Amino acid sequence: MDPTLVVLFYSSLAAGMAAVGVLPLLGRRKLPRHWIGWSNALAGGLMLGVAYALLVSARERVPLSGALGALLGILFVNRTHAASGTSELDLNRLDETSPDYGYKVLLVNAVHSAAEGVAIGAAMAVNLSFGVFTALAIAVHNVPEGTVLAAILTSRSVRLRDAAGLAVATNVSQVLLAIVTFALIAAAPGLMPWALGFAVGSLIYLVLAELLPECYREAGSTSIALVTLVAMGMVALLVSLGPGG
Amino acid sequence: MHLVIIVFLYGLVTALATGLGALPFAFVRRLSPRITAQSNAVASGLMLGASFGLVAEGTQYGSWQTIGGGMAGVLFILVTHAILKRYDLEFGGSRGVGARRAVLLMVVMTVHSFAEGVAVGVSFGGGMTLALVIVIAIAVHNIPEGLAISAVMRPQGTSVLGCAMWSVMSSLPQPLMAVPAFLLVDTFARILPYGIGFAAGAMVFMVIEELLPEAYGQDQRHGVAVTVTVTLLAMVIFAQYL
Repeated sequence: MDPTLVVLFYSSLAAGMAAVGVLPLLGRRKLPRHWIGWSNALAGGLMLGVAYALLVSARERVPLSGALGALLGILFVNRTHAASGTSELDLNRLDETSPDYGYKVLLVNAVHSAAEGVAIGAAMAVNLSFGVFTALAIAVHNVPEGTVLAAILTSRSVRLRDAAGLAVATNVSQVLLAIVTFALIAAAPGLMPWALGFAVGSLIYLVLAELLPECYREAGSTSIALVTLVAMGMVALLVSLGPGG
Repeated sequence: MHLVIIVFLYGLVTALATGLGALPFAFVRRLSPRITAQSNAVASGLMLGASFGLVAEGTQYGSWQTIGGGMAGVLFILVTHAILKRYDLEFGGSRGVGARRAVLLMVVMTVHSFAEGVAVGVSFGGGMTLALVIVIAIAVHNIPEGLAISAVMRPQGTSVLGCAMWSVMSSLPQPLMAVPAFLLVDTFARILPYGIGFAAGAMVFMVIEELLPEAYGQDQRHGVAVTVTVTLLAMVIFAQYL
């Protein structure tokens, strides 16, 4: 298969997996609160694992351009949060009824998946098998993320089918940015450390600013830490056994 | 001088360097909730960054062993935490939850020095040519670890000198473990990935369970997130270039 098609296929798969996230909502009206917290912790742990993989997979020192790329990544997410008024948005609220909360949650998810797209594209450029690994890790990460989004949407009386569609739709920027990043690095290999740095910086920042902060209120800190750590450990183990490791 | 004594003395120098991590707090006068949050965020970033580096190193010796060690590390913290909860502690000028957190951090960082001591000894065993470079590298590398300890203990009311002393204490196992590891390189090289995993698992767990919620509770979360992310990356890059 042509490498670009590989990127298209796996990033689309990752985006599509968000729809699987609605499954826990089948046949129940509301998800228990601690499930929401754990889903966010699981998504956060997987994302930290991916950031770890991108950061150490090169087995090389991070060059200055990589460090600058990371700062850009942090800046990008920080500024988009600030500009959209979502810096302190709680992604766990099932009881929030204001209309703009729903739109903000969708917006946050859309911006969030752009950073994941850069991660997939950059990892694919390192080598395809490492890219596939990263895309699959992001795909799994998108499941609990889809669960949280669907839980919020259905609590606002969006139909389950539509919630699944919206969960996938917010991840479309992932596909686009994966392909753009991959193509850009192919055209200008010097961009590689910038892209990798951007991905690492934005992913870690997303976990710490978006996924972790509020989930402590939904479930106890011990269970949150355990879920996060198990998810991180799985990715770290697989990346050291598998491709790029 | 006997080689063992040299290794021990070098190790001692690296432990003393840890105390320098308390230095920044000599210049911070007022400990507002914001400073407390940011201190915890700095400690979180440093410990997460150190763990990233440790896991990357440990998996080169053995992936499963590192992960197994990590699980043992988490279990160890859970048990220690459960035991500490039963007592009304007083430690370094603080009581209750603060004292418990400080003790737990001391335990985690001391355990982490054990693993690092083994790593030092094993790398010395590879030959003495680069010894001085390694010692300087480790001494410098220990300063942020002292900073992490001080950043948690200082807001609890421990004096700057106390922070420095406890930082040095946490690093003392390093020279103690470096010597046997140096003498029995082959044996210790085998247990190294377990030790590294143990230290990393304990540190990451401590960060996510204790330090981050504390930081989020006292400052706006994007401020915390920026500090943690930047210190994490700085720690990884710093360790790579040493």
